[in-house]
This record gives sequence, C-alpha cells and structure tokens, in this order.
Amino acid sequence: MIEGFRLGVFSRGATLWDGLDFAFGDAAAWFVTGPPSSGKTLLLSILRGERRPDAGDVVVSGESLYRGDAALARAWRASCGYIPEQTVADARLTVGDLFRRSALAGGGVRESERKERTDRLLQMVGLQGASGWRIAELSISERGRACLAAELLRGPKVLFCDGLVAGAGVPFWEMLWGLFRALAREGNTVILVERRIPERWALAAGNPEPVGPFRVYRLPGTAAEAKGEPG
Amino acid sequence: MSERPSLLWIDWRLSRDPLVRETIGRFLYFCLLGFALLTLLLSGGVSRILADRYAITAVLRAEVPSAEAEGLARKAAALPQVRSATYRDPEAAWKEFLRAYPGLEPLRGAGENPLPGYIEIRIRPDRLTGEDVDLVASALRAVSQVERVLAGEEWLPRLLRAGRLASWACWGIFGAFLAGFFLVGRLQERARAVALATDFAFLAERGVPAGRLAFLRAAGAAISGFLLAAAGTVAGGGALILSLRKFPFLERVIGPPADLLLPGTVASAVLFSIGAALLCAAASLLGWSAARAGRK
Repeated sequence: MIEGFRLGVFSRGATLWDGLDFAFGDAAAWFVTGPPSSGKTLLLSILRGERRPDAGDVVVSGESLYRGDAALARAWRASCGYIPEQTVADARLTVGDLFRRSALAGGGVRESERKERTDRLLQMVGLQGASGWRIAELSISERGRACLAAELLRGPKVLFCDGLVAGAGVPFWEMLWGLFRALAREGNTVILVERRIPERWALAAGNPEPVGPFRVYRLPGTAAEAKGEPG
Repeated sequence: MSERPSLLWIDWRLSRDPLVRETIGRFLYFCLLGFALLTLLLSGGVSRILADRYAITAVLRAEVPSAEAEGLARKAAALPQVRSATYRDPEAAWKEFLRAYPGLEPLRGAGENPLPGYIEIRIRPDRLTGEDVDLVASALRAVSQVERVLAGEEWLPRLLRAGRLASWACWGIFGAFLAGFFLVGRLQERARAVALATDFAFLAERGVPAGRLAFLRAAGAAISGFLLAAAGTVAGGGALILSLRKFPFLERVIGPPADLLLPGTVASAVLFSIGAALLCAAASLLGWSAARAGRK
C-alpha cells in the first residue's frame, strides 16, 4: 500500500496543492488524471521517493519514505520502475542500451537471459527487432513503449508511468490495458498519470475519487470486475 | 530486489567504444612510461655514464712486484663500493701512455721505463658518491705499496652535483609525463562521467547510491589502471631488451638487460603499477565530482 498523507507542494512561489491524501492499494492498476501544470509529474516524483513533499509524508507498507531510514527509501526506489514523459536525454542510446542499463539497475540478470527477455518484451510492446534502433530515430510512441519494455525487464514491484498512454497512441491502448491488468493480477502495482483517461477505461473503472486537482481511477483487474471491457 | 547491481565495470557496459579507445591510448602511454622508468632505474639517471667514465688510479711504488700488485687489486675489488679493480704493470702503462701521446718514445732513451704500475679502480654506479669515493681512496692511501692515489677529489664534488642535477631532471621529466597522464586521465574521466550522466541519474533514481557508484567506478579504474601499467611496463621492458640487444653500446649508458630482473627493479615496477592504479582511481573520482559539480 502506497499512501500519501496531507501532501503539499509549493512551487513557483505559490501553493500548487496542499493537504492531499492518496491511497494506492497493492496489486492494482491506478490511473490519475489532472489538467496541464497541475503537478502530475511532481506527484509521481514524490510517490517514488525522489522529491520530498513540502508538506505531508509518503508511507509505503507502513514505513515513511522521507522521515524513515534512507536505506529503506533506496530499496523502495530499487523496487520501482519508472517511465518518464520525456526521454530526450536518452536519444544517444539504442533500444538495446535501455535494456542493458535497466539490467544494471536490477543486477543479477545474466547476459543470455537479458537478450532473451529483451526480444520477448520488445515483441510484446510491438517493437520486435528494434534492439539496435537508436532512440533518436524513434517516435514518441515507440520511445514510450521501448522504455516500458526496458523497465519490465527488471520486474519492478511498482510501475510508475508518466504520460505513457497518451504517448503510446490509440492503437496501443488495448495492448497497454491488457498489460496493466496482467501486471496487477501478478501482484504488481501500476500508477499512471495522464491528462485524460481513455473513455472506455473510464467506463470500466467507474467513478473516480477526486483528490485536489486530480481524479484517481482504479482500473478493474479481472473481466468480472470490469464494467465495460475496452477494445 | 534483493540482489545489488554489479557496477564495478559499469563504464565498460554502458560506453564500450570510447572506453576501448581510451584503454588502448593508456596502454601505449604506459608502454612509453614503462620504457622510460626501466631505463631510468637501470641507468640511475646519469650515474652509469659517470661511473663508466670515472676511475680512481692508485699509482704503485716502483719496487712493488707484479704478484703483490695483483693481490692488492683483488683486495680492492672486494670492497663493496668497487665494481672492478685492474692492475696495469709498468709496461702496459707505458703502452697506454704512448697511445695517448704518440711520438714521446725518446723519453725511454736508456731502456728504462719511466712509468710505474698502477691499479685502475672503477666504482659501482649506485655507490658513486663523495663519501664512498673518499672511503675507497682512504683505504688505498693507507696501503704502503701505494705511492699516490689520483681520485680527482678537487673536481669530483662538482661533477657529482652536476650528475645529481641531471638525474633529478630526468626523473622530473618522467614525473611531468606521469602528471600529464593524470591530467589527461582526469579530463577523460570527466568527459565520460558527463556523457554517462543520464545513465547515472537513471541508476540513482532506481535506488543506486551515488557514492557507491563513484567508489565502484574508481575501483574499476584502479584495477584496470594497475593491469594496464603492469602490462605496459612489461612491454616497455621487452622493448628495452630489444634495444639493448640491437645497440649493445647502450649497455654502457643504461646497463645490462639482466638487471631488469633484479628484485629492486621488479619491486619498483610493481610500485609504479600500484601508483598508476591510485592515479587512475583519483582521476576517476575527480572526474566524477567535476562532472557532478558542472551539472549542478
């Protein structure tokens, strides 16, 4: 369980938001929407333990990320995967380099295993044979999917995605929907932040919980749970 | 996520091609430094040249028999400072004199050889100091068969001082090249740290402490630096042996190839490799911190 208590952020000389409470249960896919410049990326940074909130605290499985042991916060970050909205900084790399780097962060992934899983994951996100492609030559959609596949190589317990769904584009929504549900079924937690949720996903998720400028949806994990299957 | 990432060779994993180029460059530079180091160690700077040119001459009394003079030469050769002591009888001394000053045969008009026999004593290159020369000269002067000892004591201190300065200059040039290696290495490490900054940020975001990353990179640089320096020194030693075999006259300046295997030379080469490893580690750490400071 990832909980945010009375979270507040002061940015650009003003209060962006304050007193927000979040609760993201384990083994589920969560969808957070918010308008532009509402602090969605900032919220993810805070939940990942990267940026201390100006008010409040984040508690993971009962332990404070910012007021507790620093080693615990590091272990938490090590168990997380993160797909940022901007991947311009990695433009010099190839898709294969993303996997190599991800394997380094994970540790203990053998070379042969890495190659085999890389091929499988790339195929899963619709990028088969892309291992040698340069990131600079990829579209936004392809970059996002390549980063997602590279993060999945480590098998993160919690996956944070920033603008991935919008970036991937409509043709890949069904694949992502299935992937997130599968991850949740295997006990992982997925937290997505986007400007808007695809209509069918919103229908399946039901009424969102309003938290400050955000709307928090819990995506259904099983077909029975889903009110309206997308795609 | 119980397993910790293996980050010792992280640069190699993330930036192979530039690192290969740097490694080749460093190896070649270490070959050059190794060659220079072994040359300096064997030659002792300019000590071997001076020792080759300098000799103490013990002029014997005219009545000293050859057998006694040769015994005296053997005793002189046994002194720890002495490399060789050779007796030249009066006849050999006369021939040497004529070779040096041709046309002076009439000086031996009545068949009498005007020159006495003498012992030529050469000092070991590593013992060519004012104190050691004084010790040898004093020991010879105390012998009743020796009439006079010519040790050049008036000009020797100046010569030795000039030799010391020349040796220091040689080691200074070597040190400057080593410092140059350190500075270039630091710039290379910094450039690599900047190029890999996004990768390091990626790892930091995923719970890898920056301090651990810096330490393991430095450890990797130290290990590769030691191996490269050791390999470069061995290659430099090989080149030195080949040079000495091809140009035997260099042995008089540098020394015999067999001296490369003396324990002192080997220990110095190992120390050099350890020093190179420390320099590589320091360059890595400084490059890392400079790159991080530049990013802030």
